[in-house]
Amino acid sequence: MSAPHLDIRGLSVNFTTPHGPIHALRDVSFAVPKNSIVGIVGESGSGKSTVLWSILGLLSANARITGGEVLFEGRDMLRQTPTALRAARGQDMSVVFQNPMASQIPVLTYGRQMLDILYRKRDISAADKRALAVEMMDRVGIPDPATRIDQYPHHFSGGMRQRAGIAMALLPRPRLLLADEPTTALDVTMEAQVIHLLRDLAAELETTVLVVSHNLGLIAEMCDHVVVMYAGEVVETGPVHQIFHSARHPYTRALLDCDPARITQKLRHLPVIPGTLPDLGAPPQGCIYAPRCTSALPRCATEPPLSQTGEPGHSVRCHAPCDASTAAATTGQTWVAAGPRWVPDTPPLLEVPFLNVRFRTMGPIRARLNGVADPFVDAVLDVGLTVNRGETLGLVGESGSGKTTLGRAILNLTHASAGSVLFEGREVHNLREREFKPLRRDMAMMFQDAIGSLSRRKSVRALITEPFIIHGVKGLDLNAEAARLADLVQLPRSFLSRYPHELSGGQARRVGVARALALNPKLIIADEPTAGLDVSVQGEILNLMTDLQAEKGLSYLLITHNLAVVRHVSDRLAIMYMGRVVEQGDAEAIFARPAHPYTHALVSGVPQPDPDHRSSAPPLRGEVPSLLNRPPGCEFASRCPFAQDKCAKVKPGQTALPDGRTHACHFPMI
Amino acid sequence: MLGLTLVLLFVASALFAPMIAPYDPNAMDIPARLSGPTAAHWAGTDQLGRDTFSRLIFGGRVALKIAVIGVSTALSIGLVLGMIAGYGPKWLDNVLLLTFDTVLAFPTIVLALATVALVGPSLELVLIIVIVSTTPGYARMARTATLALKNDEYILAERSLGASTPRILLHHVLPNVVGPLLILAAMDVPVVVTIEAGLSFLGLGVLPPMASWGTILNEGYLVIRDAPFMVVAAGIPLVLTTLGFTFLGESLRDIFDPRMGRGRS
Repeated sequence: MSAPHLDIRGLSVNFTTPHGPIHALRDVSFAVPKNSIVGIVGESGSGKSTVLWSILGLLSANARITGGEVLFEGRDMLRQTPTALRAARGQDMSVVFQNPMASQIPVLTYGRQMLDILYRKRDISAADKRALAVEMMDRVGIPDPATRIDQYPHHFSGGMRQRAGIAMALLPRPRLLLADEPTTALDVTMEAQVIHLLRDLAAELETTVLVVSHNLGLIAEMCDHVVVMYAGEVVETGPVHQIFHSARHPYTRALLDCDPARITQKLRHLPVIPGTLPDLGAPPQGCIYAPRCTSALPRCATEPPLSQTGEPGHSVRCHAPCDASTAAATTGQTWVAAGPRWVPDTPPLLEVPFLNVRFRTMGPIRARLNGVADPFVDAVLDVGLTVNRGETLGLVGESGSGKTTLGRAILNLTHASAGSVLFEGREVHNLREREFKPLRRDMAMMFQDAIGSLSRRKSVRALITEPFIIHGVKGLDLNAEAARLADLVQLPRSFLSRYPHELSGGQARRVGVARALALNPKLIIADEPTAGLDVSVQGEILNLMTDLQAEKGLSYLLITHNLAVVRHVSDRLAIMYMGRVVEQGDAEAIFARPAHPYTHALVSGVPQPDPDHRSSAPPLRGEVPSLLNRPPGCEFASRCPFAQDKCAKVKPGQTALPDGRTHACHFPMI
Repeated sequence: MLGLTLVLLFVASALFAPMIAPYDPNAMDIPARLSGPTAAHWAGTDQLGRDTFSRLIFGGRVALKIAVIGVSTALSIGLVLGMIAGYGPKWLDNVLLLTFDTVLAFPTIVLALATVALVGPSLELVLIIVIVSTTPGYARMARTATLALKNDEYILAERSLGASTPRILLHHVLPNVVGPLLILAAMDVPVVVTIEAGLSFLGLGVLPPMASWGTILNEGYLVIRDAPFMVVAAGIPLVLTTLGFTFLGESLRDIFDPRMGRGRS
């Protein structure tokens, strides 16, 4: 290995807060070799983004670097003058941001923004700069770049924006590219495309890449080396194959074990890492992971472990590292493989024969003036689905597929233009709120934003007992009920007096579950219940939901885009694309042999957290067409690798398969 | 802190006016008329020999009454109308918004002149004018805040639990909207006090012999060549109260704004 391109040595960063300093980074050291892709992986609170901002000198005002050095091409970036730092940023190193919606200037065209990036290059004429920009837009796969470069960010879809973001980052030909969760804001199929793009461009332009992510799939797909961080420390670094196949730190192993995408067998109970992150105001004096470690020794609690090197380039900070040759699970948890669960011969709890939700795009007068005959957009189109008692139906789709709208329409929170919703055999579609209110005791909803769906100025106690007050349940001791519900969702009772902003994502999610369960509903519609949660916490929430289902005979309609998760907890799946259900049926059967090409693309599109099985090409090219221009034939035809002439002209109907599945495809893959 | 001190001083002096004021505000002492500040009369006397200091103390009562009743009424009405406009149907929003804007478009003094011409000056009229002209400000603010909250996921979550619209507004919207309005109210108090003083100065407000800061200013203005100090004396409490409430409003804003205070050392 040649001299590292970027060498971080003993970096320590404190954040000053009113409650004393937070030791966010402690003695972080790792090297990034030239022309390699290095990934920093860790859960929230691990300090992985802080490392990135330290390199750039863009830490927030209350941060203080207490030690260490960041050597970039031999220069210590922590000791550069602001002018030199500014010159380095955007010349020698640049950033791809997490959220392309927020990191691009909405009032300037891409052309303008890209010219601005090149402002230091005075020897190039404006016309040449523009040519460079167009060329870069072409390289990142933006069709018709010469025209699109004059468009504004809001003209681009999410995936295209991230491509443009990558183009902007690569435009000055940086020698180091930093990527902060580059795919977190994107859908699965877009994520696969962006991963491939970054990987190919890095090789083509000979750029060194440092990518920060919590997504093990992305790390395995892209990186050559991996840095595993936990609570502000680097616990393990090594080549990607060694990290994924013979990890030596117990935390790395636990993290890998928790990833639902790595578990091939269907499990009802997902593995978790017990315990919580230590308080970084007063970090433990021994090993940072000792309190949660299943193989901790007595000295782990008192003596901080030193970094030890095993294989070349593989170092681990642990007193008792796992044996590299065993790749077995180390969490010591028994995994219960899921058996089939059937509740036969009872009428379905929720039946939606068909449902349409349309949104108005312009007022009637404007539509008449513009000659638009039908000023509506179909968010949900002829969707039919069934939820049986005690089962979980996973509703899967990318953003914009209409899955959330469908969930809200079933609960009468969004007006459905046509259709029918039968709950326990009774028509509840578009009932008036007064008539629907009693039904809300039986149908509860969990919302996507765990913290944002809790009323900000109410205590947890008030929040979880509110259903009793709303529905006028008399003769209850509300304090006792609050305690009962807190116990039910394993939330410490002391949390009852806290407020939503004082909760972590996982705790807020538990409050959401408790509130949904307060009135013993029969159906819970859960909208992305694991969104924004770390893998280890995600398992805890799903296990809790599964246990409560078994205990209370609940039915779930689980809305998600996370296929790896939905596979383990769903009995049946419904796949949505552009407001239609394209495939529905038994979850295992769908995963084993998808019938619809879109399902196939989704199933194979999940980045595999295994560096030995890197996909050679993204499963789907192109983007979801606009709902405003619904194709006359099959909606998926424009992206479908198997499309034939008929697909573009004739809309496929729902076809039943012998195993009870239905699909909407002219040429199914079975 | 300075803001709170000044405000407390103002409130206390108004409440305990009879105990603090050295003279009856309406007692005349013609021989001592138009004196400058002396040991007996700290702020001098007016053209009827009334003690300006005592009159200012009693004038504070009028100011406080207008400020408390006027601002709190305007705040309550504005809050309710604003939340209805923000949360209710679009047509109602349009109707209410048009009403607010119409009222706001009217200059306060013109409104006062027109109504006084119809019914004659009185303290009650000043109150009504103050309420009518400041309510739309609160309503617009409450409406904007409600509109921003309306599409938050927790409001949808409350609906999915079956909460009624009044319950959502009262329990979940109001606590999040009222904070900025209280700040606006604190900053509005000096405006209201000045409106009263202005109207009284023009002879459209409080009637003599009742003491108010505006009437004292007016009287001082008439005798400014003989007793220049009176105008100055009448201006001091006005300036101090305005400063006090403005500072208080600013510190309230810092307290209510979660980005300030927390997270910064």
